Amino acid sequence: MILLRLISWPYFRRHVLRSILTIAGIVLGVAVFVGMHTANQSVLYAFSRTVDRIAGKTELQVTAGETGFAEEVLERVQSASTVRVAVPVVEAVADTRQRGIGSLLVLGVDMTGDRSLRDYDLESGDEAIVDDPLTFIAQPDSIIVSRALADRLDLGAGSGLPLLTAEGEKRFTIRGVMKASGLASAFGGNLAIMDVYAAQKMFGRGRTFDRIDLALKSGRTIAEAQAELGALLGPGFQIDPPAGRGQQFEAILAAYSMMVDISSLFALFIGMFIIYNSFSIAVTERRAEIGILRALGATRRQIRWLFLGESAVTGLAGSLLGLGFGLLVARLIAASIGVLISDVYGVARQADEIATNPALLAAALAIGLATSVAAALIPARSAARVDPVQALQKGRHQVLSAGESRARIGVAAACGALSLACLAAPRMAPAWVGGSRAIFYLGYLLAILVALLLSPLLSLMLARALRPLLKRLRPVEGALAADSLIQAPRRTSASVAALMLSLALVVAFGGMARASYDSIIDWLETALNPDLFVMPSQNIVVRTIRFPPGMGPEIAAIDGVERVQMVRDARIVFRQTPVMVVAVEIDSLEQTARRDPVEGDAASMYRLTAAGEGLMVSDNLAQLQGLKIGELLEIPAPYGVIRLPIVGIVVDYSDQQGTILMDRQVFRKYWQDDSVNVFRVYVRRGASAAGVRQRIVERFAGERQVFVMTNAELKAYILRVTDQWFGLTSVQIAVAVLVAILGIVNTLTVSIIDRRRELGVLKAVGALRGQIRRTIWIEALSIGGIGLALGFALGAVNLHYLLQMIRYDIAGMRLDYTFPVNVALGLVPAILAAALVAAIWPAESAVRRSLVEALEYE
Amino acid sequence: MVPETSTPAASGTPPPAIALDLVTRRFDGTRQVTALDQVSLDIPRGEMVSIIGPSGSGKSTLLNLIGGLDRPTSGRVRVDGEALDGLSDDGLTRVRRDKIGFIFQFFNLLPTLSSVENVGLPLHLRGWPRARVAARAHELLALVQLGHRLQHLPDELSGGERQRVAIARALSIYPPILLADEPTGNLDTRTGGEILALIQALHARLGSTVVIVTHDLKVAASCGRTIALRDGRIVEDVRR
Ligand SMILES: Nc1ncnc2c1ncn2[C@@H]1O[C@H](COP(=O)(O)OP(=O)(O)O)[C@@H](O)[C@H]1O
Ligand SMILES: [Mg+2]
Repeated sequence: MILLRLISWPYFRRHVLRSILTIAGIVLGVAVFVGMHTANQSVLYAFSRTVDRIAGKTELQVTAGETGFAEEVLERVQSASTVRVAVPVVEAVADTRQRGIGSLLVLGVDMTGDRSLRDYDLESGDEAIVDDPLTFIAQPDSIIVSRALADRLDLGAGSGLPLLTAEGEKRFTIRGVMKASGLASAFGGNLAIMDVYAAQKMFGRGRTFDRIDLALKSGRTIAEAQAELGALLGPGFQIDPPAGRGQQFEAILAAYSMMVDISSLFALFIGMFIIYNSFSIAVTERRAEIGILRALGATRRQIRWLFLGESAVTGLAGSLLGLGFGLLVARLIAASIGVLISDVYGVARQADEIATNPALLAAALAIGLATSVAAALIPARSAARVDPVQALQKGRHQVLSAGESRARIGVAAACGALSLACLAAPRMAPAWVGGSRAIFYLGYLLAILVALLLSPLLSLMLARALRPLLKRLRPVEGALAADSLIQAPRRTSASVAALMLSLALVVAFGGMARASYDSIIDWLETALNPDLFVMPSQNIVVRTIRFPPGMGPEIAAIDGVERVQMVRDARIVFRQTPVMVVAVEIDSLEQTARRDPVEGDAASMYRLTAAGEGLMVSDNLAQLQGLKIGELLEIPAPYGVIRLPIVGIVVDYSDQQGTILMDRQVFRKYWQDDSVNVFRVYVRRGASAAGVRQRIVERFAGERQVFVMTNAELKAYILRVTDQWFGLTSVQIAVAVLVAILGIVNTLTVSIIDRRRELGVLKAVGALRGQIRRTIWIEALSIGGIGLALGFALGAVNLHYLLQMIRYDIAGMRLDYTFPVNVALGLVPAILAAALVAAIWPAESAVRRSLVEALEYE
Repeated sequence: MVPETSTPAASGTPPPAIALDLVTRRFDGTRQVTALDQVSLDIPRGEMVSIIGPSGSGKSTLLNLIGGLDRPTSGRVRVDGEALDGLSDDGLTRVRRDKIGFIFQFFNLLPTLSSVENVGLPLHLRGWPRARVAARAHELLALVQLGHRLQHLPDELSGGERQRVAIARALSIYPPILLADEPTGNLDTRTGGEILALIQALHARLGSTVVIVTHDLKVAASCGRTIALRDGRIVEDVRR
């Protein structure tokens, strides 16, 4: 590889900027890949670590979704032959009302048995209290906190700690402080432990537990225990190792993961194009050099290996840098998606540590390297084919040959036809082929391939179409800028392709965001129409604190209240996936928020569901799980299996995984639970919502903790959460702008080298600096413009596929196709500005170049 | 600073078209080259001067300095009495586009532009309206006998035709000064002769000052004045 040092290194040194741009292509691809995946994993990791810490030595957990179950289940579990110890747990989220501290996870446990599973690791001196658990239990205000929390609150053993509970603000007494390790470090220390029976009362649970944690007798396997307990408890319970909760969380993250995958795939593709661009330019530029090497006896093989070697070195350097950047990016992204953990626990927990996965990093390195080498394959081959005699003569090598264009069109037509066939497959082919997701994704891939194949020809056509226009605008600068694009399509096309890909992604994400927005807003307007929502916590997703049903009539009696609806929602496990059950008084709901079903008959739907003779499911659940109207659902619950038909399918975005709507009586029967998560309150005509809100708060002051949200506040909250999901779009826009800059700088740098002579002549015959600059700016703007046009076209196609993916594979949302005109219009100035920025440096260097040298004959 | 003139006595007479005052041009490369060494030279208006000398003697460098394509290391170049050294880059360009026409050995036509477009280039750059540009370009192409090759690209023209387009381009602004660097160097003898005849005819007709670098002694002999360069110095300056 002496050639690398002798030939490549000097070339690199002469073209530092361009080499950096080339490397940047790979850095970009690898960084997005590493960043997004690491962020994803970090969040998962943070979650599972939290689960582990809270689980202690627990081997199995018995749950019934998150609905909880009656106390008597504990005795049944304890009676199982495989179980050594089983302890009850109530988990709840309580607000400290302290700025900068926020919510705590309160773990209600049975002090007498729990320490055989969890080590509280109390600080010396506190042991006494827990050694005699009865003292702890005898005082229901007893609480144990973590060292970190004690420090942050500046409290110690014996101090009082006020917490918001279902019964209003309660004063607890800290009876012990856990050392900062293990359990105490879950949620960064925002954790407190109290007696399970005290917790039941404080958090409005009645006589239920959320969970039973258990350890097995020695010699008994997890499988044995699962089988025994399964038979003992019936299908309404889940018996899983603590890690199972991680899987549940993964399911919630699935949509996000899918987006991440698409984004990183596009990023790598784009990186590949930037590399391909640089290398094919380098080959053209170094033809003479290659010719000399060949004349001196270098074999084709050696030439090819020279270029592949260069690309490998570039790929390696880029990948290493990309890893670094990726980990930085991961930190940012993880912070934003860490909030999702609160969807499960109610305590916001960011992934403060980045889970660096060696396997992922190695994979990224390999992918970066492979992408780089793959991108250089074609240029390396054409370098090896350079004819030594021809190379030493000057000529034009940049033009697309007619043969190549025809070949491209041919392949593109074939791919396009196949892609269309894939699109039509669901309607035409037999179900086992047509319904296959593989066919769908194949069609998607082919569609992108077609775009890539055609992009050089299309950009050439667009440049030709643009020429008269530019010439009208600026007879010299405009015409020459267009000519520059027309003369060297290779120089331009890879940049255009990269730009096209990244813009297509932005447009599709933008379109998806727009459509989901419209759809969600539509749902908000019709379904969430009460004036006030009365909740036990400030945090909407917290379902761990609940109200007793008796509060319903009490609220209804308040002056100005027209109607109160009791809602109980809980996540359960249905067909192995977590879905949301929403139990409401259906007949009342029909009167206030009657909606037309997507499928089914409105009148009978409400009648049957209200009578407890049917269920309504959300459209997204139906899409994701392939549910049909009339289908008999089996929903295992703690008190038996619900067997009811689907009588209506409605649009409902309460949950991403899907929602099952039932009447409150059905829930009460199968869960023996009449608690309430939210009261929907309608205000009497003429009464002020603010006044009613005030009266509700006053009515329960000191007795219960109530938070009253107005309709507008709730909507704003939901839209904010939705925004977080589409935060990815802004990352994509940033990437697109970066790609535009990278690609255009790359192309222009070469363009001004190629056009040295031309620019020199221009100057010699009287072009001012401003005029030289202008022709380069116009070239940049044209590349940007062509990229935008193709990006919008591919984006329109991409959006179709993305919506299909959303519908069938991600969220089950049936979204209307509307091209995101706003996003597109916003991109135009962004990309054109990026193009201008990219042109600054090349334009200056063109202006500065010595005239005499430019005009020198070869 | 008091502006000095080369002929303070005859302040009434117009300044020479081109005046060089102890002009030196050095190139700093791996080894230093003095391409022009303290050259002083006056060329009056309307004169046709040929510059001869062996390869590397500094002919092109001299022409580039006169045309403001390059700046001297020391000394001063004046065009129409205006000193070039104080001018900015754009200032130089303005002098060039108002006063100087260039003809190169390798034509330097823009390959993507047709004959008319190439000829109209300097006029467009000066912001002339399209119609006027077109009229002037047609007129000049007719003048160089290329009225039938208006829409051709340089690739579609012969060497002589290309040089004629280049001449038409150089003349498009009716420059008072025409600089030609080996205009026939890349053409066969017969075509070269034709091009030269054309330049001479134009000189006679437009009265421009012409400086022509050439290897061809016959060409040199046909000019009123011949300057010979060697190693960056003037070794001979004869008027006929
Ligand atoms: N841009 C340049 N950089 C370095 N040396 C140069 C440059 N241009 C000309 N020279 C040197 O200056 C000398 C004169 O060159 P030039 O004026 O082109 O000669 P001529 O046109 O008479 O053949 C030569 O030795 C040449 O190598
Ligand atoms: Mg010369």
